[in-house]
Amino acid sequence: MDLSSIKQPVLDGDAQATVAAATEAVAAGVSPSAILTEALIPAMEEVGNLFACGEYFVPELLMAARAMSAAVEVLRPSLVTSGYEAAGTVVIGTVQGDLHDIGKRLVAMMLEGSGFDVVDLGTDVAPEQFIAAARDSGAAIIALSALLSTTLPAMQSTVEALRAAALGDTVRVIVGGAPVTDEFARRIGADGYAPDAPGAAALARRLVRVGGEAAVN
Amino acid sequence: MTGKERILTALALRQPDRVPLYIHGINEAPIIGIGRHLTDGLPEPKLFHEMDPAEKMKLLDTLFLLHEEFGVDGFTSFEIGHEVEVDAEHVKDDWGILYTRSHHGLPVAKGHPVTNAADLEAYRPPEPSRSHLLLLDMGRERFAGAKALFWLMRGTFVRSWRLIGMENYMINLRADPVFLHRVAQMVENYNLQQLELLAEAGLDVLVVEDDIAGTDHPLIAPRHFAEFVEPYNRSLVERAHALGLKVVRHSDGNLWSLMDTLLASGYDGLNPLEPQADMGLEKVKDSVGDKICLLGNIDCRDLLPDGTPEQVDEAVRQAIGDAAGGGGYILCDSNSLHPGVNPENCIAMFEATRKYGVYDAA
Ligand code: B1M
Repeated sequence: MDLSSIKQPVLDGDAQATVAAATEAVAAGVSPSAILTEALIPAMEEVGNLFACGEYFVPELLMAARAMSAAVEVLRPSLVTSGYEAAGTVVIGTVQGDLHDIGKRLVAMMLEGSGFDVVDLGTDVAPEQFIAAARDSGAAIIALSALLSTTLPAMQSTVEALRAAALGDTVRVIVGGAPVTDEFARRIGADGYAPDAPGAAALARRLVRVGGEAAVN
Repeated sequence: MTGKERILTALALRQPDRVPLYIHGINEAPIIGIGRHLTDGLPEPKLFHEMDPAEKMKLLDTLFLLHEEFGVDGFTSFEIGHEVEVDAEHVKDDWGILYTRSHHGLPVAKGHPVTNAADLEAYRPPEPSRSHLLLLDMGRERFAGAKALFWLMRGTFVRSWRLIGMENYMINLRADPVFLHRVAQMVENYNLQQLELLAEAGLDVLVVEDDIAGTDHPLIAPRHFAEFVEPYNRSLVERAHALGLKVVRHSDGNLWSLMDTLLASGYDGLNPLEPQADMGLEKVKDSVGDKICLLGNIDCRDLLPDGTPEQVDEAVRQAIGDAAGGGGYILCDSNSLHPGVNPENCIAMFEATRKYGVYDAA
């Protein structure tokens, strides 16, 4: 079956059509994990590229992410029985004192679109909240966003608190947001930095694939 | 020239006696930090609502004082008295929007009273109130015509997303465009009514404050902007012009793909021209400087927080060199004097404007 019939409605942000196409593919015998990894995830990758080059904007990305998650919900039962495992769980939030939401939401959507389970803690998130959520969810990655130069210290103290909480050797911390740089990420001991939402998804995939090796580049 | 004449001349794309200086927005901490160079008895930096009545009066007086002492040519006012405290961390405004407070800046809308068309049917917007213009009255009395009086009016996009939520707004661009248009109309009506009160109260410059872009791109597609946002702001421009006011458009971020639509609205000025968002003055002056006055660009993201006064001095010199030729430039930072800026750098910005901004000597 031609999986582009599933990709296109994701690109169009059409949840109903995406669910219908995915359901049809299952009925035609395509495995749910193939639908996910060969149609839905690549479609979101393309959406990310279109966003990065300014052809798509926040609403288009939002609609595509919704279309994809509607299809994933339909596939979930069969994904579970077929033993498919999500790429891992990411706990994400904007650091304490910072109320900027939009960029962090985009990163969360792109991570979901990459096959991660995402726990979005919202904005103004205290270090203890990140720690508790990471413990509860068994997160592989903790993602911190900051948009203000005045909340960069909160990002640093969150990274320190996460380290002190000894969440496990494999838990990785990634950071981003307009005032964050690669150099800053290194300095505060983060495991990775990405400049934008598609980059954050690629970084997270790389980190879980390489078994958690630091990826500040 | 008075500050007011200087600002109005620049907004008319003509050359004043020197480059006007303007503060678009300023939080409590920099008022206190800058104010310490001028007066004693200021409290430690804290939010306005945390101050006792005497401290509040002192803060306001210091705000006026720094405009006088540093020769800031325009004074920005905005609505006050329209919010009630819900608890220590939240306030609600007269639209029923809930805001979370933060020491890092202005309260941010997080609770939205209208979700869909049915909610809107039952919803009654507030009436603009004359008593909420108190800060404008105070500025008018204090400066007595010496400074241009600006007013920050939240535009269609900002008021709409505050009311219905940002993601909900974005989803409804497709799901229920009629709903978005009705919200926009409601906002427009409110703003138009408030504009009448403002004109009667002696306003000089309306600022349509409507952030629509991030560092790289607009938040929504240019075609959505042209359909759902700008027509409603444009009617404010038209009415303000009919009332004899100048109008400045404020939006952060990279505005290039929206520029034609913005210019078609007929604004007199564009602010804040963020350098990191490809809104460098040389480029902007070259491409639209003959059509719209430029206000802003002194970097408040990295330079004013972390730079040195010498670097600020140089940035001001450069900005004036790039944009002030022939008039049509008002010096201002690239968003606001927010809690992270270094007060010494702000003072360096004010002083450098005086130093390099004299047209005759240029
Ligand atoms: C984990 O890994 C990762 C990896 C990548 C990550 C990541 C995490 N997180 C983000 N990314 C990256 O991927 C995303 C998508 O590709 C990108 O996310 P962005 O968020 O950058 O991009 C989004 C898609 C779109 N961009 C945005 O949403 C931000 C746009 C701008 C205009 C902006 C907005 C909208 C707002 N603001 Co604010 N705001 C500005 C912004 C100007 C700008 N140039 O960005 C900025 C960030 N604001 C600023 C300021 C000063 C403030 N703001 C404030 C408030 C607000 C609003 C509430 C009005 C609103 C936010 C609404 C909301 N619901 O989120 C105040 C602070 C409130 C607070 N406590 O947080 C206030 C302090 C204003 C004041 N004086 O009170 C400036 C910061 C300057 C500085 N040095 O810190 C600012 C750069 C504007 C400017 N011209 O200078 C990347 O950064």
